[in-house]
Amino acid sequence: METIKIKKGLDIPLGGIAERHIVDARSIERYAVKPPDVVGFTPRLLVAEGDTVAAGQPLVEDKNDQRLTLPSPVSGVVEAIVRGEKRKLLEVVVKIDNSKLKIENSADASKILNSQFSILNSPCWWMIKERPFGTIANPDHKPKGIFVSMRDTNPLAPDIEFALKGREHEFEAGIKALEAFGTVHCVKAEGPHPAGNIGTIVAAISPINKGEYVWSVNAQDVANIGRWCLSGEYKPERVISVGGPAAKCPKYYRVLCGACMQRISAAQLIDPAYPTLGVGADLPDTTRVISGSPLSGTTIAADGFLGMYDQQVCFIEEGNYYDFMGWLMPGLKKYSFSYTFLSGILRPFKALEPLMPIKPTYSFNTNMHGSVRPFLFTGSFERVFPFDIYPLQLIKACIVGDVELQEKLGIYEVEPEDFALCEFIDPSKTEIQTIIREALEVLRKEAIA
Amino acid sequence: MNFKWLEDWFEKIEPKGKWSWLGSTYEAFHTFAFTPKTVTKSGSHIRDAVDMKRSIIIVVIALIPALLFGMWNIGYQTAMSTGADWHWLYMWWFGFLRMLPLIVVSYAVGLFIEFAFAQYRHHEVNEGYLATGLLIPMIIPVTTPLWQVALAVAFAVIIGKEVFGGSGMNFLNPALVARAFLFFSYPTHMSGDKVWIAADLWGSDAIAGATPMGELAAGMNPSASALDMLIGTIPGSTCETSVIAIALGAILLLMTGIASWRIMLSVFVGGGAMGLLFNAIGYNDYMQLPFYYHFLMGGFAFGAVFMATDPVTAAQTNCGKWIYGLLIGAFAVLLRVCNPAYPEGMMLSILFMNCMAPLIDHCVVAANIKRRERRIAR
Repeated sequence: METIKIKKGLDIPLGGIAERHIVDARSIERYAVKPPDVVGFTPRLLVAEGDTVAAGQPLVEDKNDQRLTLPSPVSGVVEAIVRGEKRKLLEVVVKIDNSKLKIENSADASKILNSQFSILNSPCWWMIKERPFGTIANPDHKPKGIFVSMRDTNPLAPDIEFALKGREHEFEAGIKALEAFGTVHCVKAEGPHPAGNIGTIVAAISPINKGEYVWSVNAQDVANIGRWCLSGEYKPERVISVGGPAAKCPKYYRVLCGACMQRISAAQLIDPAYPTLGVGADLPDTTRVISGSPLSGTTIAADGFLGMYDQQVCFIEEGNYYDFMGWLMPGLKKYSFSYTFLSGILRPFKALEPLMPIKPTYSFNTNMHGSVRPFLFTGSFERVFPFDIYPLQLIKACIVGDVELQEKLGIYEVEPEDFALCEFIDPSKTEIQTIIREALEVLRKEAIA
Repeated sequence: MNFKWLEDWFEKIEPKGKWSWLGSTYEAFHTFAFTPKTVTKSGSHIRDAVDMKRSIIIVVIALIPALLFGMWNIGYQTAMSTGADWHWLYMWWFGFLRMLPLIVVSYAVGLFIEFAFAQYRHHEVNEGYLATGLLIPMIIPVTTPLWQVALAVAFAVIIGKEVFGGSGMNFLNPALVARAFLFFSYPTHMSGDKVWIAADLWGSDAIAGATPMGELAAGMNPSASALDMLIGTIPGSTCETSVIAIALGAILLLMTGIASWRIMLSVFVGGGAMGLLFNAIGYNDYMQLPFYYHFLMGGFAFGAVFMATDPVTAAQTNCGKWIYGLLIGAFAVLLRVCNPAYPEGMMLSILFMNCMAPLIDHCVVAANIKRRERRIAR
């Protein structure tokens, strides 16, 4: 394992850290595959409602490259095909039915380990992501490295080593299988968030230049790949951390990819006794359920499904309230990276806290805490952005759509999530991650054309 | 405290239908009273509590010590010149009454234009002028006629800011644009070697007072001691004289991280280095002046703390900020010592470096681009 040390960044003191206790939630019945979670994936449905599917059987394939498929995490029956605006495919929901056949794997394990072709044909290929752009790895590309982050530094993220406990041999098998494609770097980052982000790790070890590719795999998915290699079984397990300021009993849960969060939400929002509450419990809509990091995850319904690549779920109160003279009040309960509130001014004097009559406590919710403005203040992004890139200049190049300048300023080295902290601390309340995503999409489409 | 009634009232009066064109004005007042209830839609679900209003209000608060001292000093200078025997509180009251019309005119004219432009563009009103509007009356002579203040403010806001797209898009510090406008348009009222001390409370009569810099430029030694200059009991523009009051503001700005410490420090380093260089040359008396005198005289400290650090018009890269600040300090001292026609170099130095800041950033960023290109070549 390699280590890197990062100094720039910020660990947000978000409450509701998961207790180190894993609840087995593999009995959840409904699972979904969510094509919108996969960047650049144009889905073509391979199944219809009511079809019987086996675990590992492809549900959708990419119209542009049929080798890329998203498999069913469990054996069962296709319960629903959910479409959104313009008939965009959002979810394929599968209801578990263990009486259905598992997919037979005829290849023998040792052969798989030595053959690239096998992993490509395995149901696990989608777990390998490619940078730049964050798509599924293109099998035709030769990556200059395959990166696995051994520490997730996102707020409330799971402890990966804790999550992988007991799966070490599967993890090793997975690494061995991946080594067929290039050098594998398992990196444990030290320092504040975003130290553990793949972008930060790649930038620290070997930054991406134009025309280069790196692949990355989530550590738990490495173990899933390893499991498939060892036993031929497709069982994409993940230990997820469930927490957040609005969660009643933050814990780890062992689930399969795409699990329905209904019971877990009920346990976190109503009654901590999982899984006593049945399906159909009334869930409050004043809490936002986020699949993935609170800094860059996706909002899901309280009875929605875990995102394809996510390993944490976060519960945060919706902040749709007015704050009287919020810009003028001392702000003892407000958290800011800047020192503009009383809570921030007192932060360096943490040692004196026992003597303070009122102590700073932070309450987090989804309020914007201000309105959108042009960029006025400079210099703070650099403090949470551990790249050799000028963040403000790159964001501005993306806003004006100057592709050439974006390339020069290093757009290929970043993903939206790398700007998550910049977006968090921005007093101008600019949607920076959206801006970066849109700029990357333009570049990606140009690269294909 | 419950302000539900006010929330309801705002929701009731929200302009709709034929009044909807007043949206920007309504929004400005509404967000002034309440931080909006907007929730995050994309990207980061949680956000930092700081916003533009909070950041700007810190600047305004940082100006208060200098403002309060400046008010007192106006009265003090008048009392000194007329020989009146005033209580210190009356001196402050006198200064307050002299300052108030300047501040009111500055805010009224500036905010009116800001609102008009926001309305016209269907933008939200930017709070940047809350700081600018207070800065302008603080850096002009107390005897400036109000119509000149109004004209300067209008010029600064329209030509200095709005034509480029408003706050955040301008490249010159609007407050200094206002001062430069007055300086070049009405030099008799804004002479650099003399400042005008209010002769009485309501009239426009003025007494000419000599500033330390004016005396130096004329080849005399300053009559004020370094201690006077540090405390600020000398004639000058309304609120820029007291280095101690400015330092209090600087502490707040640095503690909250609103102003860049790199710029602030480097302005002083640049000015000090230039002063030392002149000491080494020692061609005339002004060159032999101890370098720290430059920090105490005129608008150097005020400019370094409140003007050079304006983030919009300063260099935006960390490396650029050092260069920007060093050059401001150096040029300010250079202008003071080598240009007897205009004793105060700070304003021109900052405006000049405002123009140069994009070039500095361009070079700093170009170095980053070069580094990236070399990496590909390797």
